[in-house]
Amino acid sequence: MSTRPPYLKIEALSKHYGSMAAVDEVSLEVAAGEMVVLLGPSGCGKTTTLRLIAGFVEASAGRILLEGRDYAGLPPYQREMGMVFQSYALFPHMTVAQNISFGLRMRKMPAAQIASRLEEVLALVKLEKMADRYPKQLSGGQQQRVALARALAIRPKLLLLDEPLSNLDANLRQEVAREIRRLQRAAGLTALMVTHDQDEAMAMADRLVVMDRGRVQQVGPQEALYEAPENPFVARFIGHSNLLRGTLRDGCRLRLGEGVEAQLAQRYNLAGDATLALRPERIRLLPPGDPTPARMTLAVEDATYVGAHVEYLLALPGGGSLILHQPTTGLAGAARLAPGSRAGLSWDAGSERIFDASDRALAAAGPAPALASV
Amino acid sequence: MTGAGTLLAIPSEPSAVPAPRRARSPLKAAMLLVGGVGLVLMLLPLLMTGYISTIADSVLAFPPDGHSLSWYARLGEFPKFGQALGTSLRIAAMATIGSLAIGIPASIALVRHRFPGRGVLNVLLLSPLTVPGVVIGLALYVLMVEVEIRSEVPMIGSDAMLVLAHLLITIPWVVRLCVANLMQLDRAIEEAAANLGASPRQVLWKVTLPMMRQGIVAAGLFAFIISFENIELTLFLISPGVITLPIAVLQYLEYRADPLVAAVVMVQTAVIALLLVLLDRYVRLSKVV
Ligand SMILES: Nc1ncnc2c1ncn2[C@@H]1O[C@H](COP(=O)(O)OP(=O)(O)O)[C@@H](O)[C@H]1O
Ligand SMILES: [Mg+2]
Repeated sequence: MSTRPPYLKIEALSKHYGSMAAVDEVSLEVAAGEMVVLLGPSGCGKTTTLRLIAGFVEASAGRILLEGRDYAGLPPYQREMGMVFQSYALFPHMTVAQNISFGLRMRKMPAAQIASRLEEVLALVKLEKMADRYPKQLSGGQQQRVALARALAIRPKLLLLDEPLSNLDANLRQEVAREIRRLQRAAGLTALMVTHDQDEAMAMADRLVVMDRGRVQQVGPQEALYEAPENPFVARFIGHSNLLRGTLRDGCRLRLGEGVEAQLAQRYNLAGDATLALRPERIRLLPPGDPTPARMTLAVEDATYVGAHVEYLLALPGGGSLILHQPTTGLAGAARLAPGSRAGLSWDAGSERIFDASDRALAAAGPAPALASV
Repeated sequence: MTGAGTLLAIPSEPSAVPAPRRARSPLKAAMLLVGGVGLVLMLLPLLMTGYISTIADSVLAFPPDGHSLSWYARLGEFPKFGQALGTSLRIAAMATIGSLAIGIPASIALVRHRFPGRGVLNVLLLSPLTVPGVVIGLALYVLMVEVEIRSEVPMIGSDAMLVLAHLLITIPWVVRLCVANLMQLDRAIEEAAANLGASPRQVLWKVTLPMMRQGIVAAGLFAFIISFENIELTLFLISPGVITLPIAVLQYLEYRADPLVAAVVMVQTAVIALLLVLLDRYVRLSKVV
C-alpha cells in the first residue's frame, strides 16, 4: 500500500446533525479488491458513513477520494457505486429482470448487451427462473439476491452494503454471507459493508473498522482487534471482554476493591487508575489443589453448563461479575466448583490487556516478578 | 339526496359486499351484520330514487298508478339537463387534470424536500377543507363581482372561473391522498434508482410517479367526483349558459317534483358508476379508496 495510493481514501469525514456529530472525523483507506466492514453498535454512524460515500448526504467536513479523484459535490447518480440497501429497496413495479437491468438502461447500454449482462448476473445469483417475477412474489433471501444482482450488474467502482443480512432468517445468514463474499471476490470488487453483528463482520471482512459514537475506534484485521484492542470499547465489543477497573501499584498489582487484588502477568509503567481486560475463555480456573499460584481469587456465584464450555459468574468487589468460560473438553470427572466456593484464577501474559485512565492501551514493560504460591 | 350519499356509496360497494362464506365467530357475524346494515343504508336512497324514476304518474303519489320507463325516454325533451351534464363532465374533467397537475408536484415537494415556506404551503393547500363550501363560494362571488366591476372583464359564469373555484376544493384532496401515498413509499427505493445512475428527472418518471400510481388514480377519482357533485360552491358562480347537473336538478325541483328528476339523478349516478368500473380495470379500487 505504500507504493500505490489507496483505491478509496476517506479523510476526516464528518457529518453533523445540529450539534450532534453522526460521523466524526472518520479516516480510512481501502485497497482495490478489499472487503472492509464497518462494525459498531446501532446509531454509531455506520449507515451515515455509507450514505456520505454514496452521495445521499453531504459531508459537513472531510474528503472522499476514489482512485485519487475527489468526489465532493458529485451527485449519487454519477458516482457509479452499487449500494445494497438494508430494506433492499427493490422497485416494486418492475420485474426481477427489469430491476437488475435498471442501471444498465440508465447507462443507455445497447439492448443486446443488456440482455447478455442480465443473463450473466441472473446466473451468478442463481435467479434465472425468477426473471419475470415481481419482488413481492419472492422470498426474503431471493429479494436480497436481486438487490445484490442489481448492484453488481452495473460493475460498480465500489460495492456498498448496509446490513445486508439483517433481514434474513438466522439459518440463511451464513449461506448468504459466503455468497456475497464469493461474488465480491469473483468480480474483484472493492466493498464496504456495514453491520452491527460482530460474528458477521469477523466472518466476512478482510479488515474491520470498529466505530462508536461517530468515531473510528480501531482499524485492523480480525486478529489484531481480538488480540490487541486499543481501548476498552473495542475489547468489550469484540469478544465481550471482562473490564475490571482498579488502581495499579508497583506496576503489576491491580487493586479492585476491599481485599481483592489481581496479580498481573506483566509489568506496566503506570501508577493509578487502570482498566484490565480479560476474555472469558482466556482465564483459567485453578482446580483445588493445583500448585499454580492464583493471580486472583474470587467467590463463585453461579456455574452453567452450556455445551462447549461451563460459564462461571464470579463475584467482583463493588457488585459486578466476572465471566469465565471453562472448556468442557477434559472436564469429565473434574468437579465443578459449586456456588459459594472460592476459585483461584490464572491467565497468560498475552491474555491480559491494560488501559490507562484515558482508555489508552499500555505496552508491557516486562514480565512481572514470579508469584509466590499461596 | 343527489350527491354525496348515493355517489360515495358506489366505491365502497365492492369491498362491502359480504362474502358468501359462513361466519366462524360471533364477532365475525356481528361485523357482517353491521356491514350489511351499512350497505343497505347506503343503497337505500339510490334504490328509492331508482324506484321513483319508474313511477308513471307525474304527481308523486303512493301507491303509484303504474310503472314505466317513460321518464327516461322523455329526458331528451329537456335539453337543459343534457347540456348541464356536458358542463359538469367538462368542468370536472378540467378540475381533475388541473388539480393533479398542481397537487402531484406539490405533494412530492412537501414530502420529499425541505424548503423555506414548506409549512405555509402545506396549510395553504389543505385549508380549504376546513372552510365550508358556501363560505368559499360567497367569498369568490364577491371577489369576482369586484374584479368584474373594476376590470370590466366578465368572469362569473365562465368555465375558467368555475374550474378555478373547483380547484380550490379538489386540490386539497389530491394533496392529501398523494401525500399519504408518498409517505408510505420507502425513500430508499428512490435512492436506489439514483445510485444506479438515474438522474433526478429519471427517478421521478421511472420510479416515483409509477410507484404513486394508485395514489394518483384515487386522487383523480376523488377530484372528479367532488367537482362533479359540488353544489354549494358552484351555486354562486353559474350563469344561465353554464349550469352544472346538480344545480340543474336543484333548479328544476324549485318548480316541480316529478319522477323526471329521479331519472336525471339515476343518469348522473350511472355516469359515476361507469367511471368507477372503467378505472377499476386499471387499479383495484378496493386498494386505493
Ligand atoms: N437525517 C438525520 N437527521 C438527524 N439525525 C440523524 C439523521 N440520520 C442519522 N441521524 C443520527 O445519526 C446517528 C447515526 O445514525 P446511523 O448512521 O443511521 O447509525 P447506524 O447505521 O450506525 O445505526 C444516529 O444517532 C441517528 O439518529
Ligand atoms: Mg444503520
